[in-house]
Order: sequence, then C-alpha cells, then structure tokens
Amino acid sequence: MLFRVARSREGGKITHYDLYKIQEKKGMTILDGLFQIQDRMDPSLAFRYSCRGAVCGSCAMLIDKEPRLACRTQILAVKDEALKLKPFPPLTDAPPGWDKKTEILIEPLPNLPILKDLVVDMTKFYKSLEDLKLWMEPLESKHPRLQSPDEREVIRRYVNCIMCAICYGSCPVNFENEEYVGPAALAKAFRFEQDSRTTDPERYGEAARKSNGAPLCDLVMNCVKACPKGVAPGGAIRKLKQ
Amino acid sequence: MYIYSEEEKNRVIYDHDALIIGAGLSGLRVAIELAQKHDVAILTKVQALRSHSVAAQGGINAALREDDSWEMHAFDTVKGSDYLADQDAVEILTQEAPRAVIENELWGTAFSRTPTGNIAQRPFGGAGYPRTCYAADRTGHNLLHTTFEQAMRLGIKFYDEFFATSLVRDDNRIVGVTALEISSGAVHGFTAKAVVVATGGFGRVYARSTNALINTGDGCALALRVGVPLKDMEFVQFHPTTLYGSSILITEGARGEGGHLLNAKGKRFMGKYAPDKMELAPRDIVARAIRTEVLEGRGFEGRYVHLDLTHLGKDRIMERLPGIREICVHFAGIDPIDEPIPVLPGQHYSMGGIDCDKYGNTTLPGLFAVGEAACMSVHGANRLGGNSLLETLVFGRVVGQKVIEYLGSAKSPSKQVVDDEAYRIREKLQTMTIKEQGESLHELRTKLTEAMDDYVGVFRNANDIKKALKVIREVRIGFENLALGEMDQRFNYSLIRALELENMIDLAESIAQGALMRKESRGAHWRVDYPNRNDEKFLKHSLATLTPEGIKISYKDVNLGRFEVKERMY
Repeated sequence: MLFRVARSREGGKITHYDLYKIQEKKGMTILDGLFQIQDRMDPSLAFRYSCRGAVCGSCAMLIDKEPRLACRTQILAVKDEALKLKPFPPLTDAPPGWDKKTEILIEPLPNLPILKDLVVDMTKFYKSLEDLKLWMEPLESKHPRLQSPDEREVIRRYVNCIMCAICYGSCPVNFENEEYVGPAALAKAFRFEQDSRTTDPERYGEAARKSNGAPLCDLVMNCVKACPKGVAPGGAIRKLKQ
Repeated sequence: MYIYSEEEKNRVIYDHDALIIGAGLSGLRVAIELAQKHDVAILTKVQALRSHSVAAQGGINAALREDDSWEMHAFDTVKGSDYLADQDAVEILTQEAPRAVIENELWGTAFSRTPTGNIAQRPFGGAGYPRTCYAADRTGHNLLHTTFEQAMRLGIKFYDEFFATSLVRDDNRIVGVTALEISSGAVHGFTAKAVVVATGGFGRVYARSTNALINTGDGCALALRVGVPLKDMEFVQFHPTTLYGSSILITEGARGEGGHLLNAKGKRFMGKYAPDKMELAPRDIVARAIRTEVLEGRGFEGRYVHLDLTHLGKDRIMERLPGIREICVHFAGIDPIDEPIPVLPGQHYSMGGIDCDKYGNTTLPGLFAVGEAACMSVHGANRLGGNSLLETLVFGRVVGQKVIEYLGSAKSPSKQVVDDEAYRIREKLQTMTIKEQGESLHELRTKLTEAMDDYVGVFRNANDIKKALKVIREVRIGFENLALGEMDQRFNYSLIRALELENMIDLAESIAQGALMRKESRGAHWRVDYPNRNDEKFLKHSLATLTPEGIKISYKDVNLGRFEVKERMY
C-alpha cells in the first residue's frame, strides 16, 4: 500500500506530498504505517501519538479525506469505509496525482493551523473549554452525591468524549468561521447542563448559547457521523439551540 | 543543526516555586493541592488529556460500604504485594481511599451507579470485597478529564509538549529542570525550589506492553542520573489479559463481571492454580497460569488463550464493558458478544520506581516522586487492580501537602547552575543530531525491548537475565553511535524518541540487574531457578544506583506493620 502524506516543514500550509511504500500486514493501523515511515524511511515526519488504543485522542488526522483517529483505522479497511460527510473544501480538494485506488491520502486535521506535517495547533480548541468554563464547581462534603443509573445515562454519551477534535475538523462551520467554539465544547457544556448533580445548570447553557456557540451551528451533523466515540455532539447542540 | 536566535540564547530562565513533571492524574492532583498557595507549573511531553492515566479501565478501590473497611483493603493490598509493600504507606492509601473517590465524585466524575444511586463497585482480583468503583470500563478516562477540568478551573500553568531533559542539582538539593520545547527545539532552564516527578511508568521498556507509547519512564531515568536510587525495579507486572496482536489492555473488570479463561481444549483452567479465587486471583498468579497453559501446549497457535464473555450476554457487556467491546471490534475484528477474546500476558505496570518515602520525599532534598514513577512502596511485589488510580489521587494530595511544607523553608535556587546545565544539554543534543552515519534508532529500540520480553518476562532464570544484560550493554554502546538522520529543530520526534531510548536503557539495566540479584520468587518476579520466596534474605526492597561501572544493587528493609508475613494462597 502507498501512503501519500501531506508535508509542511515550516507549518502554515501543506507544501507538498511525499509518497511512501508501506509493508502492510493484517491488523496494521494507519498509525503503525506512519511509524514505519518514521522508523525506516523518513525520520523527519512529524505526527502526534500516545495511547495507540483510541482513548487519548492524540492522532486525529484526515485519512482519505475523512477525519479519523490514525490508531483506530485499519490500513486494509480504509477503502471499504465511508463516513458520508457533507463535503466542504478540505474534504473535497484533492491534491493532483492522488490515485484513490492505490494510495491512502494522509493530511493534517482541517480547521486548525498546521504546525508541522500532521501536527496541528490545538490552542483554539482547548481554549474554548476554558472560555466556556467547562468544569463543575466543587462542593465541600463528606459524602458523594446520589445519581440514578437513568440520570447517568443522560450524560453517558457526552462524558465519553476524548477531545480528539475530529468533530472540530469535520465541521463546515468551523471551516468558515474562526469564532465558532465547535461541537466538542458545546457537547461538554450540554453534559454539565444535563448532569443531575449540577447546582448551576443555567451557566453552561448560557455560555453555550453565546453568539460564537450554538447559534452558529447549521446542524450539518458531520460531527455525529465522524465522532469515533459515539458522542454525537450535534444532537446536544440541537437541544441547546431550543 | 541547532542554531539559536539571539532571543532564544538570552531567554530568561523560567522560574516557579514548584515544578511538576507529568500531567497525568498524579501530577494534576499535586498541582491542584499546591495551586492555591504557590506558584506551580506542570511540564509535560504531551497535553494533559493524552497522559496514560486516561487508559485505565477497570476502576479505583475504596472501602465505601459499612461491611467493608480500610483494614480489609489494606490486608488485601499487603497480601497481594507478597508482603513487600511498606505497610505504613498502605495504611495511608487505604484510609484515604474513600476521601479520594468522594472528592472526584464531587468534582463531577460520572461513576457508574447502583439502582439506588450510590457509586457502583465491582469485584476485582485479589480483593476480599467488591470495592472497585468504576465508570463503565473507562474509569481512568473519566477521572483524568474531571481532574483536568479542576486544574483548568484553578488556572494552573501548563508547559505542554516540553520534554524534560535533566533534573538539576546544586550540591545537595534540587534547583530545577531543563527541558526541550518540542515545538521549537529550544532547550530551556526552569528553576524551582521543589520538583515533583510524576512521569508514570516505563512499560515501553518491553516490546509487548499495554502502556501508551509515551510510557518510557523519563522521570525515573533522570532521577537515577542525579544520584537518586530506583527501588524494586525487578517487579514488573504482566497483565494476564492483553489483546493478542496489539497488546491493548482487556480489563480485569471483564473477569470481575464474570468472564472465564479457557485453554485450547475449551476448559476453564484457573481451578488448578487458584482454586478459591479462580479468574479473580491476583494478576501475577493468573499471568503465570496462562503462560503455563501455553508452555504446556494448551494455548491457541502456541501463543494465547481465550477470555470468554459470551455467557454474560449482550446487555451486560454493553452496559459494563462497552470500551472492551469497541477495542475488540476495532483492533481484533472480534465481537465479544459472539465470540471469545484471544488474550495473553503482557507488560502492564511498573511496581518499581523512584525510591521515596510515604510522603514522596526522595534522597535528594526538594525532589519528590508520586504515582507510578514513584516506589513508596504501596504495591510491593505485585499491585492489585484498582490500586493504581487510587495511588495517584491519594498520594497526589499527600505529596502536594508535603511540598507545601518543604517550600516554607526552602532557599531560592541558583539560576546560574540551571543555566549552565541548559547549556550542557544544548551541546549534548547538538552532538546527537549532527551525526549523519551510525546506528539506527529503530533497530536499537527493537533490540532492547524484545530482549526484555524474551529474557526478563513472566518466568525468569539467571541465564536468560544475563543474556538481557549483554543485549542492554550492546544497545548502550550502539546508542553512543546513534545517527538520527533528521536535523530539523521543530517537532523533531526522532530526537524525542532517541532521548526516550536513552532513558529506557538505564531502566532496562536496573530491571535486569535487580532481577538477577533477587534469587527468590516473590509476586511478579518469578525465578524458575529459585522458585520459593526467601524472606530471610529477600524480604527487602532493592535499590538500584548508577555508578561509573553501571547499575549497582543494594537492599533496605521493608516497613512491616499490623499484618504478619505469611505464605500467600488464593
């Protein structure tokens, strides 16, 4: 299998694509392939990684024009899977020379500035968590609070978010509007608003409904299709909008 | 080639009262304790949420119910440790456990619940009571995200993607740290009155490990190099059930929920090895049982056994083990609702670490250690499942309090010493990156980690360990002649991985040397040539120190306490 990998030594924009021949075997992931390149062919290739088990959220990137976790994407299955996202330029503008049948195209996650090769600047993504104050105000108590299994079920989806930013990179609104805080932060705000233990649920809803938040969402639902953890931020945003 | 701008050369050294290295649960919890009183910062090679704490699955132990007690929890922990744990440290761990769990619940962690709304608990290996609190099979994820939220709330300063390159000592105290800023390639000095090492374990010393790829024990190796001993390094936990192929963890919770281990004949075999506890014996025992089944010809393809969850039914798997199902589907193409999971033992946890007391004090004043990077020791020769998340939150707070005490009387550090060290590190990195021809990083790393798998694994003997030591020496020599082939300053991951390998060489030698010298079998350290526990000679902690001739091993006493040392049966 051939990997066509976007390169950007100085960051800012993709300057060119390098082609690598990967020795693939059953069970091998895109991340394994990237390590094969770094280990044996080109030590200068930069990409983030940590857990290699789809829980840390480090390795989100654009794989064959779809935002995915490199560690959870099997090389041999890439061509059979399709997320069917609504197109916008980063998902449709293919580099000249890309042979879809024989090459896997690997590019940095869209909608965030490129720092080097496949490494993007997540500052803006993290900052929205702080701006919306997405934490619980701690209570002083010797006892844990009660929460029924049904009440927990309401927030289950949303606490599974790993902050990989795939939703942010799959969103046409984030592409067009730099101000938009993006689906992950809004889903997290919804989680705190809906948590039966929250003492001040209004503040999360208010923060999420500010002008750079839920009102900007066009309910495209790419985030729901692309999320590797089934968080479905779009559903939360729809409810926040109401 | 490293060329520094005038600005970089003249950069003012960063200064904080306390600097924490590592942003997993331990590091975050220490920072939270310090934040209200002191100028504290966390330096971390990956953004906090990418830390390995996120991968912990099964749960966190605490005696929350009236018919359980901290004493029962302490007994299980000490017995599980094969009596090598320091009982004074275990008392703190178990007494403080409910407080730590409740604190995180009050911060917002979405624990799984009983029908009446209490925090749910499940049975875990080696425990006499179902005291493992959990958030489905994503407990570490939930605790880490919640604890990070609280760190954000307090406005804690993070240096994300800074790789610590050395600890700096001035005579007999710590004065700071040097670190490589990954995004720029610049080496910075950090002065601090107190430094806390919270860099986690070093599982990647082994080729087959459940650990994140970043778990290379950097802080432990840096401590060793400034003269601080490492303790009990030979005690490496091999988790019984890692996914065949990718070595991803399959939680003990899968057995806690009722999963069975089956050999290639389709038989449950744990009855032979632990008649009472069966699949829920401690990890060292289950790992040896699986290896024995395979070595005696009852494994699949000569490698693995089956972990069967099919009898639990779809609903229970979806509710309690949804992450395990996802892992099996995505990484092995198997749905555990319909078919058994192929599993085998793999490196999972480092019981050993930086030698420190129950307050995190190391032998170097001002240098503290906490979490998996530390060895206090609460896990002794074998850690119980559910006790590692607990250790991070309990001792994160305890160590934070001790750092506050220390800061009260600590002198200001010398900027000059830190600056000189940063200069030395810049020269070192320049030398490493300038070489064009030489040994391959990838080949050296593979050689080292496969030797550790092959020769210092579940079953050990003197000949094998000596083979490992020979390979480690060869890799050390090879490292001197390493050529990276990559000269870019920015995001030079080849350089990062080379520095990690340098750290792992020292740690591998400490593990192997400790394993060679410990001529007994205890907990996770099993010597087929010395198959019995020898309390007379080895009811002791080993200490590894770095000398010009290599790693030297000495011993110190275990802090015994209320629980009498006995034979360990399950």
